[in-house]
Amino acid sequence: MTSSPVDPLRLERTRRYIFLALLATLATAIHTVEYLFPTPAPWFRFGFANIFSVLALYLFDFRAAFTVTLTRIGFASLLLGRIFSPGFFLSLGGGLAAVALMSLACHLGKRYFSPIGVSVIGAVGHVFGQMLLAWLLLVQHPGLWSLFPFFLFFALVAGLINGFAADFLLQTIRRHPSFSEAPTNRPTESL
Amino acid sequence: MALKPLWRRMTVGDRLLVSGLILFCVFFLSLRSFRAAGVHLIVEQNNQVTYKLALDTDRVINLDGPLGPSNIVIEDGAVRFIASPCPNQVCIGMGCASKSGDLLACVPNRLLLRITGRSGRDLDYDLITR
Repeated sequence: MTSSPVDPLRLERTRRYIFLALLATLATAIHTVEYLFPTPAPWFRFGFANIFSVLALYLFDFRAAFTVTLTRIGFASLLLGRIFSPGFFLSLGGGLAAVALMSLACHLGKRYFSPIGVSVIGAVGHVFGQMLLAWLLLVQHPGLWSLFPFFLFFALVAGLINGFAADFLLQTIRRHPSFSEAPTNRPTESL
Repeated sequence: MALKPLWRRMTVGDRLLVSGLILFCVFFLSLRSFRAAGVHLIVEQNNQVTYKLALDTDRVINLDGPLGPSNIVIEDGAVRFIASPCPNQVCIGMGCASKSGDLLACVPNRLLLRITGRSGRDLDYDLITR
């Protein structure tokens, strides 16, 4: 695939743009469709879009994961007509907390956690971020936190499912020529 | 079972993390079942207590929030939302609350329903409006 004489740094950057654009688009589409789908309980979402944040985190770095997440929440909220509504801020808080925790877990605990564990941490972060924002914006009541284990349990299930999906996807995507090159061909990190 | 390949994909850290979180949830959720049955329902609107109702009288209550009217029903000592103008209907999905310390909230409509247990003084009225 890289037989043409092209600046490897530029190639790398272009690949990154294209993959991030694809991941962000898929995440936006899934986020939107998930909101239109009926769910067993009205507040319950699987958060499948988080799979793509995990992918960006593992294929690239934490900045890529933030890019994908912010793009997804921004565009999906625009499409759903709920931008700047309380629900949007809850999404945003949850998403940011999830990516922040996942980045930390991925950088500090790469030896201990697979993408599955990182996705579960992301789900926990999502619940935590949402509750924190709900606390700050809507209800300042200590009783809010008594709901935490309840939501955490469902987040755990969703995080596990997303984690397995992300793990399978990563395995597949890493076979793509863009990622399966020998490390010597890849440009070293510059500045 | 089909779960075996999935289990094999997880690292030891993953398994510890998941089992730790499950234990955390089970512990805090099981605390709930040991609590006493509730006696009163406290309704807070916009962080202010607006009603205090006895749970032993069955009734349907209409509560006005910023989005419109929410309906709650008290039945057999338990309270639940039956109708709400909020977009996601999270409050209806929360089901019933009957034990002391239980909580139901409709965040978009700024409603908080709290169950309290038997306090020191026994109330001889069944509804207070403030």
